[in-house]
Amino acid sequence: MNHRVVITGIGLTSPVGRGREECWQNLLAGASGVGPITLFDARALPVRIGGEVKGLDTSPVLSAFPSVAAEKDRKILLGLDAALQAVADARISPTALAAASVHVGVSLETFFLEDAAPVAHSAGAALSVQVRDCGSSIRLQSPLDRLAELLGARWGLYGGRWTNCSACAAGAQAVGEAFRRLRAGACSVALAGAADSILHPLGLGGFGLLRILAPENEHPTRACRPFDAARQGTVLSEGAAFLVLETLEHARARGAAIVAEVIGFATTLDAFRVSDPAPDGEGAARSMCRAIADAGLSPEQIGAINAHGTGTPKNDAAEALAIGRVFGANARRIPVTANKSMTGHMIAASGAFEAAASALTLHTGWLPPTINLTHPDPLCDLDHVLGARRLYAGDTVLSNSFGFGGQNASLVFRRPPST
Amino acid sequence: MPAPIVITGIGIITPLGDDPHSVLGRITHGDCAAGVPEDFSTEAFACPLCARVQGFRAQDHIREPKLARLMNRDAQFAVAAARLALEDAQLIVGKTYLPEKIGVYGAAGMAGLPLAEVLPLLRASVSAIGEFDPARFGREGLRTVNPLLSFKILGNMPLCFVSICENLRGPNAIYTPWEGQGARAIEAGVESLLAGDAECALVGGCDVKTHELAFIGLQQEGCFRSWTETGAGPVPGEGAAFLLLETEARANARGARIHARLDSFALRTRRPTDTTADICCALWQGLRLRGPLAAVVTAANGAPALEQAERQAMADHGIRPAVTLAPKKHTGDLFAGAATLQLALAAVLAAHSKGRVLSHCLGHGSEQAAFLVSPP
Repeated sequence: MNHRVVITGIGLTSPVGRGREECWQNLLAGASGVGPITLFDARALPVRIGGEVKGLDTSPVLSAFPSVAAEKDRKILLGLDAALQAVADARISPTALAAASVHVGVSLETFFLEDAAPVAHSAGAALSVQVRDCGSSIRLQSPLDRLAELLGARWGLYGGRWTNCSACAAGAQAVGEAFRRLRAGACSVALAGAADSILHPLGLGGFGLLRILAPENEHPTRACRPFDAARQGTVLSEGAAFLVLETLEHARARGAAIVAEVIGFATTLDAFRVSDPAPDGEGAARSMCRAIADAGLSPEQIGAINAHGTGTPKNDAAEALAIGRVFGANARRIPVTANKSMTGHMIAASGAFEAAASALTLHTGWLPPTINLTHPDPLCDLDHVLGARRLYAGDTVLSNSFGFGGQNASLVFRRPPST
Repeated sequence: MPAPIVITGIGIITPLGDDPHSVLGRITHGDCAAGVPEDFSTEAFACPLCARVQGFRAQDHIREPKLARLMNRDAQFAVAAARLALEDAQLIVGKTYLPEKIGVYGAAGMAGLPLAEVLPLLRASVSAIGEFDPARFGREGLRTVNPLLSFKILGNMPLCFVSICENLRGPNAIYTPWEGQGARAIEAGVESLLAGDAECALVGGCDVKTHELAFIGLQQEGCFRSWTETGAGPVPGEGAAFLLLETEARANARGARIHARLDSFALRTRRPTDTTADICCALWQGLRLRGPLAAVVTAANGAPALEQAERQAMADHGIRPAVTLAPKKHTGDLFAGAATLQLALAAVLAAHSKGRVLSHCLGHGSEQAAFLVSPP
């Protein structure tokens, strides 16, 4: 028997704010979270802007997770912060949470150049000898399952732990996998989300070498322009988003407030190139079609789309083409919003953040705008939410996440069920 | 399981070879691939050994040399093992199954980037007083790296390269970084078949733990604790293993050769108080383990405590197989690739022994697993 799955808690730590309400109000207001890089001296890099989480107050995290007091990997701190918020937002007791599964999306290991470079520079002994001699004060890397392990240990969650590293699709896959397990009855509660921060020299420098970043250092808030004819690339950012998902019966039994229902999920592969999406959008279209079918819907029943919308010329064109393939003549009548215009690209965390934004759209009846979209690319001829937020009375939202390497994921959400 | 799942293709790249039958033979014969690495000093590590794949040539397995150059060694292993698994299954993508109907689920390890590739970057990014200098990094350090470096360090690249090289377009996921997440990938593949999302699933894992940076990571993660305490422990290895899974009905319908049937599997998230015996018991309970076993592919990795505890737990529960095999003591520990290799060897062993084989995947990290296979 399939169970209905609902979202009962949301935690967001992002460039557009901390907390469900602050982030949502900023998204609706069209506020950009992109600015000059302040986390490190980026002056020598060609691209020096990003979506930083400003003024991160780590005290709640350090209080709940004392073992991370010396943690330098920002994605860990961001992820723990968002997860704490999600659990608090769900008002779920530790007992009710105890059997939860944990699904975490991440992208790549943080390589601590600041630690590694000085020891590598020293003449003589091997790097490993120097690392040993420095004791525990030096860490070159942080294992990618650390976040899932910390979350599991904090609340005693032994319903299984997954660390998904499907790049930009990881957050959506983490939410989708939690949904699938809940729907199948494998568990009653899940904590799912993602965290990422590659706003460090190697991340920003490395992605800059790929020439996919918008080089608009003078106008950071205008840099990310999904679907605009003059778009020049994406903007790297950092953040985390976690959701508490439950079966409907579990949520109702404990009187939880329901934000939205998750009803469909699918993944596909492009099998094209590691650097580019398939230009015909075939894999992306199939991802959407399969998620819609998984939800038991037809494309005509999708009311709005939270696009992947990175702002790179190739990604947006392929996604627009894919939307056209799926929705045909209706494609121009479905409102499309791209949160990355404000948040920048949080890589693994984006899919989970946009899942939360899709749920909040259904919960509040508002679609956030796609900012910086002043001259829509004729190749991306869709019903973009231009200028300002738009009232939304529809029942469903489709959210897309398409990763480097050609991993695609789509999620479908529905307005929360009435009592 | 609601529908019987079978293994119809096996592809492995290990330090003891890439033919599952001969690897099994070498393990039975007592061969060991462990050796002292010649390209870095293990002076700082409790573990002095690693197990490397010798003579691997990417061009023998990857048709596009340009693509091979974009790959890390772990991705090259993954692509090679995936190819072998598909060939072994006699699966022709687009003919046997549509590319969209082939699921791909994998696991990859941490620290895939060899130190040799980042050392020039590091050395060019240090100030005169020996500190990391962002300005020098931007001006000089970045010039030392391949512009496509990011594609080498993204965790999902092994799976994406497999999909690109083999034109696989179905449902997918990739997990990281330990053996238990490799078991989760196998689980995800099975679930995709049972849910009807895929008509067959290529599941696997890959890892390269045989370079200095990986050793540093393993040491800091406590993976060498047994070496410190007892002078023996796991030997980091490298390689990849992939399996093609199908429902028995589909495999029979296309006349596929079946290596083994996957009778059941179980996973457990380790509790802080769990002993090896607790984990084994929980997994056996999850498997509904009853009746005689022809063989057990054990988790023994060279750490005396683990080996003794696993053996004792089996004895206490009357598990007395005719054959026990400890692949990790011979091939080295493949970490993210270990679960699939353990299952692959269990499948071969089931076919050889004509009996049921239990495979343990008790590794670093929280997720622990066991698989039960039987001959076709």
